[in-house]
Amino acid sequence: MDITLTLNKEKEKSVRRRKSSRARQRTIAFYLFIAPWLIGFVLLAIAPLLIGFATSLTNYDGFDPADAKFIGLRNYERAFTDKDTSYSLGRTLLWTAINTPIWLVLSFSMALILNQRAIKGKGFFRTLYYLPSIIPVVAAVWIWRIILDNNFGLLNASIGLVRPGTAIPFISTYAIYSLTAIAVWTGLGAGMVIFLAGLQNIPEELKEAARIDGANSLQVLRHVILPLMTPIIFFQLVLGMINAFQQLVLPMLLAPGQEVGGWNPPRSSFLYMIHTYRQLFVFQRYGYATALLWLLFIVVLIITLLTFKTARYWVYYEVEVEGGEP
Amino acid sequence: MTTRREASFTNRLTAHFASYGSLILVGLLISIPLAWFVITSFKPQEEYMSYPVRFFPRELFLDTYRSALTMIDYFRFAGHSVILSLTHTTLTVITSAMAGFAFARFNVPGRNKLFVIVIAMLIVPVIILQIPQFIIFSKLGLTGTWWPWVLWGLAASPFFIFLFRQFFAAFPKELEDAAEIDGCGPFRTFVSVFLPNSKAVLATAFILNFTAQWGDYINPFLFLKDSNTTLAVKLQTGYLSPQGQTLTTIILAAAVLYVLPVVIIFFVGQKHILEGVVTTGLKG
Repeated sequence: MDITLTLNKEKEKSVRRRKSSRARQRTIAFYLFIAPWLIGFVLLAIAPLLIGFATSLTNYDGFDPADAKFIGLRNYERAFTDKDTSYSLGRTLLWTAINTPIWLVLSFSMALILNQRAIKGKGFFRTLYYLPSIIPVVAAVWIWRIILDNNFGLLNASIGLVRPGTAIPFISTYAIYSLTAIAVWTGLGAGMVIFLAGLQNIPEELKEAARIDGANSLQVLRHVILPLMTPIIFFQLVLGMINAFQQLVLPMLLAPGQEVGGWNPPRSSFLYMIHTYRQLFVFQRYGYATALLWLLFIVVLIITLLTFKTARYWVYYEVEVEGGEP
Repeated sequence: MTTRREASFTNRLTAHFASYGSLILVGLLISIPLAWFVITSFKPQEEYMSYPVRFFPRELFLDTYRSALTMIDYFRFAGHSVILSLTHTTLTVITSAMAGFAFARFNVPGRNKLFVIVIAMLIVPVIILQIPQFIIFSKLGLTGTWWPWVLWGLAASPFFIFLFRQFFAAFPKELEDAAEIDGCGPFRTFVSVFLPNSKAVLATAFILNFTAQWGDYINPFLFLKDSNTTLAVKLQTGYLSPQGQTLTTIILAAAVLYVLPVVIIFFVGQKHILEGVVTTGLKG
């Protein structure tokens, strides 16, 4: 009796040991698999964030770190009195407010149209609309510069057919609207593809049921398709805004200005990131520039959180229906 | 009854008309800039700057293309672009697939918390990392070299980790069990069971990342020297007349040649990109 019990216990132990040694092996394997990403995350994200924050508390000028002096929050105070900071933040808010809705509405509408069963040539249009998304930004800006140019651009030339001598300064005075055109042109296809994938996931039965109940196409759109698409619209809205806030390259390339490096675009497209990079690469104000980065991070965080707060009023989260698709 | 059917028929006809109308309108807004880009690349600079604007070139002027290839050492910088894009893409696809596999198939302590970090990194404005990285890399003497691309590649991409996780999570458990019974360790299972069955998503990640790297302007501009930079930067800075004027049509010719490889890659792989990826990402 005693002996069997001990034997059983021994057996149990060895099973448990084998199990736990397998679990330990799995854990080790897991961390080996994610090691490159995890190390990269610590060295290329966490470390830069901390060093960036430390730099923002100094007057570091990019040369000898030993010369940098700790100046507390003075760089942050400076941001609140610097007119260029508030101006560029205002421009960035305007740019985000123009760019994001146009992009969302247009890419969603095109996805809706292409999702209709009766439409022919879907593949052709989808490919055509997506094409600008893969064009490198340098080329995309050149493509638009020869359209928007004051004197030799296609747009002014075309208007000139009706009103000779037209030379609207799209690239300088109206730069922010030109940037919107470029951004929407390049981003339309990528946005549309996401919406299309979402639309194709809407069960046909739901739309059919609504139609049998007497709903016309507009009502189906309003009461079936739109509610089901709100999670994707929300996701795209958040990502679109975060991207818009980070915009740096488009204004830099469209109208570089006279200064070296393209850090002096026209005031119309003087976005926040341009201001930040200019502080660093033109004036060597490393401390101030990193402070501006942290402030941007906070602004984006607040706006993202506010958007998330609005979600419960308009984003529809599907309740699991019995027998529905997983 | 008949009238109602007729009415719905006209309604449908109008809807149809409106649909095709907007498809074609947007199609034109997309393609006119592309067409104008290619057309203008075949004009000499004087014709581009002539007034009134000539809509179609007088002749197919190929000198712009000749100058585009000879004014700068075009193929050397194209080579830099290829090397950097391939290195970064190969590394990042491997490390992202590894991490995606681990997050999808290993139920171990700490996994979910770490995956939250991956998701958070998807929406963190990454540009706030660039300047601090620049400060660190320049202190380590890595600016002006290609090493940052190796490091960025090794660090994997949150977006691709997410993509691979979604994809690998859909594999049946039996497949993994069978491999384990056959004596495969986790690594063997990953390499000889999962990867061979993931060609579509691997190709997608490869194409998307290669295209993004090929088109990247700001990183080569900030991190590299004039002698080892990529085509993206050279295109912007390399074509000036002796008087310092921008040679627009030569730049356009160079840009056509620069765009061509990614357009070709896109047409080869578009089926995967447009159908595979996004759906994988959405089915959370």
